[in-house]
Amino acid sequence: MIIKIQKYNLSHIFDRLKSSHKLIGPKIENNAIILSEIEFHDIPAGYRDQQSPGCYKLKQGENAEVFSFSPGPDSFKRFLHPPFAEIFRFEKSKKGITISPSNSDEKPFAFIGIRACDISAMKLYDRVFSGEHIRDKTYESLRKNCFIMAVNCIYPGDNCFCQSIGTGPEVKDYFDIVITEIRDSFILETGTVAGERLLTGLQQDRVNDNDMKERNESIQRCGKAMKKAIKFDELPWLIYRNLEHPRWAEIEKRDLECGNCTQVCPTCFCNSSYDLVSLSGVLKKSEGLSGVRIRAWDSCFSKNFARVHGGNFRPSRKARYRQWMSHKLAYTFEQFGLPGCVGCGRCITWCPVGIDITHELEALRNAR
Amino acid sequence: MHDKSIPFEAKIKWIKKETRDTATYALQITDKFVQKKYKFKPGQFNMLYVPAIGEAPISISSASSDHDLMHTIRIAGDVTTHISSLSTGSAIGIRGPFGNGWPLSEIKERDLMIIGGGLGIAPLRSVIREIVKTKDIKRRNVLLYGAKTPKDIIFRDEYPRYSSVFEVHLTVDKADPEEYWHGDVGLITGLLNKVSFNPINTMFFICGPEVMMQNTVKMLTLKNVPAERIFISIERNMNCGMGICGHCFFGPKFVCKNGPVFRFSEIAGFLWIKEI
Repeated sequence: MIIKIQKYNLSHIFDRLKSSHKLIGPKIENNAIILSEIEFHDIPAGYRDQQSPGCYKLKQGENAEVFSFSPGPDSFKRFLHPPFAEIFRFEKSKKGITISPSNSDEKPFAFIGIRACDISAMKLYDRVFSGEHIRDKTYESLRKNCFIMAVNCIYPGDNCFCQSIGTGPEVKDYFDIVITEIRDSFILETGTVAGERLLTGLQQDRVNDNDMKERNESIQRCGKAMKKAIKFDELPWLIYRNLEHPRWAEIEKRDLECGNCTQVCPTCFCNSSYDLVSLSGVLKKSEGLSGVRIRAWDSCFSKNFARVHGGNFRPSRKARYRQWMSHKLAYTFEQFGLPGCVGCGRCITWCPVGIDITHELEALRNAR
Repeated sequence: MHDKSIPFEAKIKWIKKETRDTATYALQITDKFVQKKYKFKPGQFNMLYVPAIGEAPISISSASSDHDLMHTIRIAGDVTTHISSLSTGSAIGIRGPFGNGWPLSEIKERDLMIIGGGLGIAPLRSVIREIVKTKDIKRRNVLLYGAKTPKDIIFRDEYPRYSSVFEVHLTVDKADPEEYWHGDVGLITGLLNKVSFNPINTMFFICGPEVMMQNTVKMLTLKNVPAERIFISIERNMNCGMGICGHCFFGPKFVCKNGPVFRFSEIAGFLWIKEI
């Protein structure tokens, strides 16, 4: 089903969706576009962001488009793989251990304005957390019944390179509804029955051939306008061949190992689990105690990430950077059959020293 | 499918001290239904859990045909230190089993050489006991084991029993002058040099410290053993056990899910790369 609606009509869709879903979408906070629970008027319509390595600036643009901005630091991962997730509660007493899995019975999420790059990342997440041999209940309970209202990018961000990977800018699958902006209208395409149901009975205009032509051209124009690119032809072998390349030692000199890149990356899923015992968790009687087990984001840049008792498998910073980049550009192909880098450029923008993954890959290719 | 991120309770049935810092714990899963459903393969591991302290990946040291579920634990970190303070009847949490285990189907028509170093003998004991139970002596079974000193030999009292099925060779890095020791002295590679084997028709199961495994594999390769016949069990920082936390990466492999047992030919390109 393909329909055309007046832009303000999108708010009606919001109203319909609100009864069943928590609407997660773009919103301005602290001079950046973040993701949060939103109302229709929260969408930073007309805004543009300037991005360059290590730099992000939001400008109130003169753009007439609603979705003229690029993704900010946040992605869906903050909601489907929360920075802190409770896995279970435990209680320990003289009698033994009681463990009760934690459940959330909140409304499912509707991701509003999610872009093609993040949808590719979500595909990877689905394979990581609920693939063939693994059912992670914590992820699955959050992922279940999510509604995806995607947006086709018509302007590239300054650090975007999804075109070169093939993960964008067009959203091709994995959506309930995808929006493309043309002049004063939105073209809405549905990908699922849920999407169709939501649009039924909505005030709409007919989509003609010219509209579709304009839709296709604006997406193509966006793809062509991207300034950065990754050559995928030699991956993953380019990485495997160069695991002991001197370039890693050179990157180490600039790398602050702050872990920003892993926090903003929509495919970085690494985490650590640990127990939290609150003071009130100590039971009064007997020597029992209670608490929760938490799964929190972690980063392969942390010093102790690969530590075992008796040693650390990755003590040097260059090995940790190599681990990160190799995972993005080589290992995930073997692990999940998908690229670990979706070309969103977030790691370039939010790196305080502006390390650029596209440059580093080229350096590996060229320097011998 | 059972949610493997949630531990279940088990009680310590008995404890056997092996060396000054290592002991074997027999665990009994409390829930009868879970206990019945719990099945594992030799070489797999469990995440043992002490509430409020944490989890540690510990390989299963009993055979699946054994009556008790055993783990042989060395005091190393917070969790294992705490476990060492527990007594019979204490409760701990257990999640698992995780990992792939030793490829027992591959040794049917071949000789088997098991090479263990230090605590690395624990996951191998699972295979040893399985084979000893079946009394399979159609094939030649060899066991090489190296420890630091005679006092550090784990399962010391059990080797005489295994010798009906295995040719057992023990070595220590350093003989303790205060203790009578009539076995070999020196590294496991030295022992390997003394034992003859058919390089084409023997499977190798190796577990021990990483340097020991690297050197053993190097020597086997020099002795013309095909890389496809060598299996090593790797140690990494397993945190989730299910391939979702990323701590245990060994190149592109999740040690917890694709391993911990790897065919050497599968990972040969990564074994010599520093800090992979």
